Amino acid sequence: MGSRDVTGRLRQGVWNGSIPLEIRLHKDDCRTYDESDPYLIQFPRLSYLGLLIHKLHRFYENNLIYPDVSPADAWLEYEGVPLKWHYPLGLLYDLYSGAEPYYPSNGTANQEGSGADDEGQNSIPWKLTVHFSDYPVEHLVKLDSEGRHLHDLFIHSVKEADYLRTGTGKTVMFLSQADSTQLWESVKSHDFTLFNPINQKLLNPQGANLRHLPVKLYLPHAASPGMEKETTPGSLRVVQSLITPALSSRHPQTIGTALNHIIPSLFPSRRSPLLAQAVLHGAVLPLSASVEDLVRATAYLDGWLHIGIVMMA
Amino acid sequence: MTSKLSSFPHLSTPEFESACTSLLHSFNQHSHLQHDWISAELIHQHESKYLRITRPLPSPSTTAVSEVPEMEEENDDEALQAPFPTAQAVVQYDILLSPTYRVPALYVSIKDTLHRYPPTMDTLYRHIIPPVFQSQTKDVGVLGGITITDHPITNSPEFFVHPCQTAAVMEASAAGRDVTAEEYLLLWIGSLGKCVGLNVPIELVIREKGKG
Repeated sequence: MGSRDVTGRLRQGVWNGSIPLEIRLHKDDCRTYDESDPYLIQFPRLSYLGLLIHKLHRFYENNLIYPDVSPADAWLEYEGVPLKWHYPLGLLYDLYSGAEPYYPSNGTANQEGSGADDEGQNSIPWKLTVHFSDYPVEHLVKLDSEGRHLHDLFIHSVKEADYLRTGTGKTVMFLSQADSTQLWESVKSHDFTLFNPINQKLLNPQGANLRHLPVKLYLPHAASPGMEKETTPGSLRVVQSLITPALSSRHPQTIGTALNHIIPSLFPSRRSPLLAQAVLHGAVLPLSASVEDLVRATAYLDGWLHIGIVMMA
Repeated sequence: MTSKLSSFPHLSTPEFESACTSLLHSFNQHSHLQHDWISAELIHQHESKYLRITRPLPSPSTTAVSEVPEMEEENDDEALQAPFPTAQAVVQYDILLSPTYRVPALYVSIKDTLHRYPPTMDTLYRHIIPPVFQSQTKDVGVLGGITITDHPITNSPEFFVHPCQTAAVMEASAAGRDVTAEEYLLLWIGSLGKCVGLNVPIELVIREKGKG
């Protein structure tokens, strides 16, 4: 019962995580150059920025040089990096904001008094820029104003996670149309009471253990020695591999054993981080954490653990 | 390498790589007999290998190009093509082994020095999907069986044939026969490639059949 409580509380904590955003209209789209008001919002870490395009369009309608542009022309950028629509906000923030992740061991990072960490201080609110022209179509999937692309990207990600967990993808296929609609509605409205029942069905396929665990690793260029010149600002390498819940013995798969298996060059040890850290929801993951426990309690809305890999200074 | 597949309809990494190598070998020997594919190469990046095939973009009515230029033996000589306004756009097919579904996954893009064909649904239905397949690809999923997603290696958006049904399609295509990795790849291109204009040149197929 105890561990169940912890899982439940963690699930709630992750669900409630949010980041204040300060979004400004890019001067090239603004008829008063840089004199538009910022759009301020406290936005869930688990959610998708693509769900904001209508609100942003409405907010800036009177400032736009071309007011008849579509909400689907909107795209967001942080310091030159176009922000991927299918990455949840928390992942984008952990990858690009420069904020120091929280270390469970000392509990000091991300708070005042941690010394020379100016970047961390400046990362709240996260200051983003919205554009309504020059869409970077070579870097970002173009959305549509009905949200179908965003939905499509989400559903395919859910399906893939389900395929990994069950080995067949049958759970998603067996979700009724109503369940499937409810899942997307729960994402759009960030409503846990809608989300949780469907999520529980997906996490607990009938009478079966989980086959593989849906984990994606996001490696910055600095962590990818094999990578040639950086062609796109903020581009990274996404790494994925089959991860079983348990090692062949009775030992559960931990973050340390998984990372050591997938990217041994960055995680030469299974027990202690020597070169890089794994960051999820703004916190450095202990290498001893069980991957299955994390999937059950802290996965993103599409069922995946999207883990940022950060090089140690 | 004529051994049976270890877990049909899925492919292991060595089986996939061996299938790519053998198709490449066949292409290198017989490319002069065909005009459909411009190039085929095995790309090795980050400990994974994938197959890249290019062919000229069929000249559709909507482009400014008036006729299909004669394809000469040019490989990836962009420097030569760039100065000419009628530069031939090229369709690039990347075939990767899906780490989730353990079947080949197909990513398609149009390489064009003039950037006339961005990765949008409009480009997809106007230039990539042959008219006969349009209705059947449109009726699947939220947006259709082929959508746009990030290429796993370049991390840039490309057209993507969703591999979640591929295993079932391969079982139906093989119809109970034991297939080798090379036969698997040819069958796969035959079943899933044509909806995005990728076909195995008949010259390569005849050669493969003659051999077995």
